[in-house]
Amino acid sequence: MIEAAGLTVELGAGQAVREASFVIAPGDRIGIVGESGCGKTMLGLALMGMVPDAGRVSGSLTVDGTQMVGAGEATWQRLRARRVAMIFQEPMAALNPIKRVGETVMEPMMVHLGLGRDAARARALELFREVGIPDPEARLRQFPHEISGGQRQRVLIALALACDPGVLIADEPTTALDANVALRVTQLLVGLAERRTMGLVFISHDLAAVARATERVMVMYGGDIVERGATGEVLVRPRHPYTQGLLSARPSPGNMRATAGRRGRLPTIPGSVPPLAELAPGCRFSGRCPVELDVCRGERPPLRGTMICHRAEEGA
Amino acid sequence: MTRLPPNLIIGAVLVALVAGTAALSLVWTPHDHTLLNIRGKFAPPSELHWLGTDQLGRDVFSQLMVAARNSVAVALISVCLGGVIGVALGLLASAMGGVVEDVIMRIADIGFAFPALLFAIMLAAVFGPSLMVAIIAIAFINIPVFARVTRASANQIWTREYVYAARAAGMGRVTISRDHVLPNIAAPIIVQATIEFAIAILAEAALSYLGLGAQPPAPSWGRMLSEAQTLMYLAPQLAIYPGLCIVTAVLGFSLLGDGLRDITDPRLVRQR
Ligand code: SF4
Repeated sequence: MIEAAGLTVELGAGQAVREASFVIAPGDRIGIVGESGCGKTMLGLALMGMVPDAGRVSGSLTVDGTQMVGAGEATWQRLRARRVAMIFQEPMAALNPIKRVGETVMEPMMVHLGLGRDAARARALELFREVGIPDPEARLRQFPHEISGGQRQRVLIALALACDPGVLIADEPTTALDANVALRVTQLLVGLAERRTMGLVFISHDLAAVARATERVMVMYGGDIVERGATGEVLVRPRHPYTQGLLSARPSPGNMRATAGRRGRLPTIPGSVPPLAELAPGCRFSGRCPVELDVCRGERPPLRGTMICHRAEEGA
Repeated sequence: MTRLPPNLIIGAVLVALVAGTAALSLVWTPHDHTLLNIRGKFAPPSELHWLGTDQLGRDVFSQLMVAARNSVAVALISVCLGGVIGVALGLLASAMGGVVEDVIMRIADIGFAFPALLFAIMLAAVFGPSLMVAIIAIAFINIPVFARVTRASANQIWTREYVYAARAAGMGRVTISRDHVLPNIAAPIIVQATIEFAIAILAEAALSYLGLGAQPPAPSWGRMLSEAQTLMYLAPQLAIYPGLCIVTAVLGFSLLGDGLRDITDPRLVRQR
């Protein structure tokens, strides 16, 4: 169980995450969506206590009741793998190229659970079966370059599950994979979360994957959680101007037709995410927002219902 | 595998020659290298004395062989000693970051700026000159070199995703340094060690030349050189032989180090 209240991550001159508040209970499946650079990865790292040395974390973050803001590396180390675990975007880069994958998966069990080599190996085998790796005995002895991307991601999932974490954070787990493989990995994650009543934080810019994987979703922009709610609700009837922009920027039969007249170009949100330090102090989206008000730039919109936007009352 | 670079091959051959000679001297030399024969001094090369004899009638070839053993042993011990300490410090600096890293690296800078010769003279003044002094002095200058190389390479590894994954799996800094960082930076460290070997051989020769290293009767290329100096006009070959040996050993290890770097550094591979 993770509870964040006013969780803020400062990086250099800017805030990579600004006053994020949410609860992740056992079995919850929560998506975090947004463009790259919106702070979603930094939020994920903050939940692991792995913000870069230059970053400063403030606010409140409790994991199973323990306050983790200001906790030292040693405290975090005891939590990682057993309470919170994380998998990363690049399954190739996330495996040590000169270590057999079995060894990599066995390591945390020997360190955290005090298992001997044989017991750890047996459990690794069990985990490989659970995550659907064919011929697990042979896989244990292979090196990362000998297995495919999808299998590598499964190995990493097995690694993350090694010590039965309460919450699994998946940072863009499917982005580097082919569509088919990505779909199966997504299904695997959902199945694991359900079977183990494990919290799943699914960080992605792939809205389709998020729609499949999660029940609730948080939309991030410029470090703010701008909108949140049930996944079906938010992705079908987005209310925040940024979410609306994000959704219409996605190719779908509907808006392909709508834009066919304009030389077939896909609608996109004009402009790009500005660097952290240059974000407006008020609404982070001001400057790119199509329905901006005068107050937006300078004044931070309060949380109203499911989103933070000065237009919230009008029902946007 | 692509074609091996020529410097690697030449270096390996020269190193094998020096190391082979050193090893052979343990079990066999043409003559006892300490055997004096005043009547037979300054003998020209002959079937009996392949490279002739020196001012005391000792067999030059045998002396060169034993000196090779001493050189290699001093270089090996000092580079290993300095290397182990330096690598450990570099790993520690990289793993801890922050203040610890700063302190270790500033101390390394100071050590780097400290001339080995001066250190050796200091040690010799305290403990008296010996091969041990040479070993400690050379090991000492190697510590900051290895600490720097290790930290620079290790810092790159610490930003890799597999280190993040290991951290996310709850691995501590020590475990990650040992299991993930060290094996992945072995190549640059081995390359550095080979190059340091060449420097160590040169340093040992220099220290012995100054009388701070090997003491008589233990032969050393550096000391043979210094003894031959006074006889330059009488018997120049006595200076030339140890000089050639030093050149061969240093060149061999330098080329080997360069060659190893060429085949292990991916940036250089792409350029070729
Ligand atoms: S607060 Fe203003 S600028 Fe921000 S999204 Fe709402 S309307 Fe747009």
